Amino acid sequence: MVRFIALAVTAAVAASAALAQDAIKIAVLGPMAFVQGENHWAGAELARDEINAAGGVSIGGKKAKVEIIRVDTNEIQSVPDATNAMERAITRDKADYVIGGFRSEAVLAMQEVAMDYKKLFLGCGAADAKLGANVQRDYARYKYWFRVTPLNSPDLGKTLFAVLGDIAGQIRRDLKKETPKVAILSEKVMWTEAIVKAAQANLPKMKMEVVGLWQPSPTATDVTAELSAIDRAGADVVFTALSGPVGIVVGRQMGERKMKAVAFGINVEAQKDAFWQATAGKANYLATLDTYGEVEMTPKMIPFVKAFKERFHRSPTYNAGTYDAIQLLKQVIEQAGTTDADKLVPIIEKTTFVGTGAILEYDKAHDPIWGIGKDTGIAVQWQDGKKVPFWPGQVKGMKPFKFPAG
Amino acid sequence: MLQDILVTGLVNGGVYALLATGFSLVFGVARIVNIAHTAFYMLAAYCLYTLLVLGGMRGPLAAVLSVVAVTALSVACYRLVIEPVRQHESAVLIATIALALIFQEVMLIAYGGNYLGIPSAVDGVVDVAGVSIPLQRVLILAAAAAMLSATWALLYRTRLGLAIRATANDLEVANLMGMNVERVAMLTVAISVALAAIAGVAVAPVFVVDPFMWLGPLVTVLAVVVLGGLGSLKGSLLGALVIGYVEAITVFALPQGAFLKGAVALSIMVGVLLVRPEGLFGVAFEEER
Amino acid sequence: MTGSATFLARRAWANLRGEVLVLPSRTLALAWAGAGLLLPLVWADPYVLRVAAMTCIFAAVAASWDLLAGYAGQINFGHALFFGSGAYASALVSLRLDVSPWIGVAAGAAMAAGLGLGVGLLCLRLRGSYLSLATLAFPLILIGVLFAFPEFSGGELGVTGVRPLAASRVGNYYIAAVGMLALVFGLWSIADSRFGLVLHAIRDDEVAARASGINTARYKLAAFAISAFAAGVAGALYAHFMRGAGPSTLETALSFQVVIWGIFGGVATIYGPVAAVFVLYPLTEWLGSFKAFGELRLLIFAAIVLLVLLFMPRGLTPWVRDKVETQCPRCKQRNVAWRARCRLCDAALEVGTAPGRPGHRPR
Repeated sequence: MVRFIALAVTAAVAASAALAQDAIKIAVLGPMAFVQGENHWAGAELARDEINAAGGVSIGGKKAKVEIIRVDTNEIQSVPDATNAMERAITRDKADYVIGGFRSEAVLAMQEVAMDYKKLFLGCGAADAKLGANVQRDYARYKYWFRVTPLNSPDLGKTLFAVLGDIAGQIRRDLKKETPKVAILSEKVMWTEAIVKAAQANLPKMKMEVVGLWQPSPTATDVTAELSAIDRAGADVVFTALSGPVGIVVGRQMGERKMKAVAFGINVEAQKDAFWQATAGKANYLATLDTYGEVEMTPKMIPFVKAFKERFHRSPTYNAGTYDAIQLLKQVIEQAGTTDADKLVPIIEKTTFVGTGAILEYDKAHDPIWGIGKDTGIAVQWQDGKKVPFWPGQVKGMKPFKFPAG
Repeated sequence: MLQDILVTGLVNGGVYALLATGFSLVFGVARIVNIAHTAFYMLAAYCLYTLLVLGGMRGPLAAVLSVVAVTALSVACYRLVIEPVRQHESAVLIATIALALIFQEVMLIAYGGNYLGIPSAVDGVVDVAGVSIPLQRVLILAAAAAMLSATWALLYRTRLGLAIRATANDLEVANLMGMNVERVAMLTVAISVALAAIAGVAVAPVFVVDPFMWLGPLVTVLAVVVLGGLGSLKGSLLGALVIGYVEAITVFALPQGAFLKGAVALSIMVGVLLVRPEGLFGVAFEEER
Repeated sequence: MTGSATFLARRAWANLRGEVLVLPSRTLALAWAGAGLLLPLVWADPYVLRVAAMTCIFAAVAASWDLLAGYAGQINFGHALFFGSGAYASALVSLRLDVSPWIGVAAGAAMAAGLGLGVGLLCLRLRGSYLSLATLAFPLILIGVLFAFPEFSGGELGVTGVRPLAASRVGNYYIAAVGMLALVFGLWSIADSRFGLVLHAIRDDEVAARASGINTARYKLAAFAISAFAAGVAGALYAHFMRGAGPSTLETALSFQVVIWGIFGGVATIYGPVAAVFVLYPLTEWLGSFKAFGELRLLIFAAIVLLVLLFMPRGLTPWVRDKVETQCPRCKQRNVAWRARCRLCDAALEVGTAPGRPGHRPR
């Protein structure tokens, strides 16, 4: 017992010593062998270098440099590895803040560890609403969690219906079809549940006809059966909610079958530059929600995307929201004049942060508040090998949405 | 809908048959449960990607080179890793698992966790009974049919085939008759992996190439061979068609349950095993007196 | 009073010296159990304790696999089914019924044991490779079922928000460590009993065992149930330690991992797979902690397994044991390798011709 108290005291002393140090240590957690982790790390590197080049973060008159720690969670292959990595980042690497995360099951487990240590954990990858629901259920424990990217899944649904309404309008105008037929093609997973239910309820009200619901597995390697059924149902739009590699299969096999229908929805794989290559150029006209493009969603987006492309030779995905996470930390630390997480939480809750992808304001679940002009994300369409942003139409830099020829 | 089911099931069944035959063969002859079988299939796909997309080589040449390279690698692996522990069945088992993991991780490091695409050998669609099928799938079906016939001819029309069948039937007697059973085993491994590599090369253009692409087909292949009977060529073919059709029927009859197609196929396998514990065409000689 | 206490202490010491310290393997087992229990007192680093607790949990899973695969010869490729179902059931019961987490653990173990009986029943007529490949299917079927009812199972997120069994990290470590020790020694004593002997017989020749009047079906079912029960307890401990149970507890990769641990350590020993986990799990975690090559951890892991296997095809512990101990040719008792004569019957021990253990030889 004595030993235990002694250890607790040492830990407390060590913790306060860490706070007194000059550098602010931020652990970047992600599956580093994968594209998601690469983006986590790249976004963080960009933010660190920009902040440090400008002198660092000023805390009560003193300047502190930002130090980022690369932590491979291996979360795609193993959930225990991810929690071990979180524990290591906090207790061994002595990180002051943790950011990143991707696979929802792993992020939920990592959230528990971070909350044990009362560390601010800014999520940049998992969309599931449950992460925020934890904050509402047990505020005292989970208040250190905030989501930077993406929107939570019900909010993603709001953007989806807004875009889908525009596409349906275009179908009515250009293709002269009064009630466009929509086939819902969604992975059978938790985050799509709310979107699928809302689609079934809302689309008829939006004067669209739902011709069916197909739910493959996120890792399905073949959807020919689904697609021939969708063809037979005469769908004009394939409304997708796909996060796994099945998104590539859908894009490619729709192109191979030369389907008349156009695909729109969430297709996480289609947000990556490599999508065109992965579908062997077959996925022309496929559209998806996305986070970054060379459009002026916020004043910071175009400079960020350009800087990212110049340095890493590819465009950022929503996991590069680690950039915003670090910039957000800088803003609130400077505002509070302290690095103490307990003091930062109420400030983040009240702050308005102009990020690269969105203007962030937080609700009770510590999720970004959805709203046109705040945080909606953008919609992009693959047109002849290029990812072309087309929604929201009024924003500078947007191009028109196209239908497959013929 | 019926014609959709008929066509989709046949095309997918052909791919499964190609993969399952090799697996079944090497089990039948060398008694090796080769977990790395579909990992070789993955390697062939990566090889093709490297030669075709990165190297700019011509399609047929790249395909042949990939198959040859992967087959050569399998022989090397067999000599270096499997042969020294052949006496210990459990060691062979985890050696093949470890090999598969090594291949997966090497590809992950070399190419990253990205999903890669390979252009089709042939573009366009063909209309069969009102169902449109991409030509690449027709090509796969043709390749599967050709390879299965070639394997059948090899086994039943050549001296090597006779030796393979003899070894499969009774290893000890074959050995006593003066056959070099180790050599037969090695050749069988090579043939089996060549079949997997051909499957990889043929199928890669319709699937996505990634370091984990071996796990899904592995489970399907296991279901196919267990369903058809381990070591039986005709069983693998039939098992593949059964699984192909079960999956197609699941998707068409229960669109909201499309994600269950794998689970349904596996349940059918378990069901068959309850009635026939040695699969449809398996032989119950093993361990029986 | 003090007299009897001294007597008991002296007898304990005599037993210890006579039965445990005479053999390096037993000494090692004692030292390992002791070290496990003393770890938090000497090195209470929370990260070390977390990795150690995970190691304990997986060690119990590996040991439970060995009873089924090593002793009963039912090489199970789907052991994740028992681990995952234990984790899910305990998490669901703890969370939804709002009862003591210990009741959750019991529910997890019961669920796993029930599934073990079910799978055993389905697999009774399957042999050899058929059994291995068929069992691979069961966890995947369960994943399909869980995804079909996301409101109940949490879909890809799993069941989260489970309360831990103890409040402190040290407490949670002790639960994992003591739980593991209890499971492993329980499994070991079952394997060492007449029951284990019968399983040996069934594995080596089921027909002959049946001919000797053994109800082989009943024994195989019991092996399935006991093994599943132990894996289920481990799964339940995992769920409460991680505070959630997700589909990753049912993945094929985990089933394969268990097979690797089991065979790497040496089958039909119980302690072999445990040793394998205690070597391999912390090793991979340690490799993963390097910033420079942490991403190579699985590759290095697989390469080590492969290389070690080339030199020790029967597994790690049988190889080590044959190096440090020999078997008396007359009374079949084990002795330290450097003894000239048997410690029990005084027969001459031939030096350098250590015979393999009798009993199991992997086919």
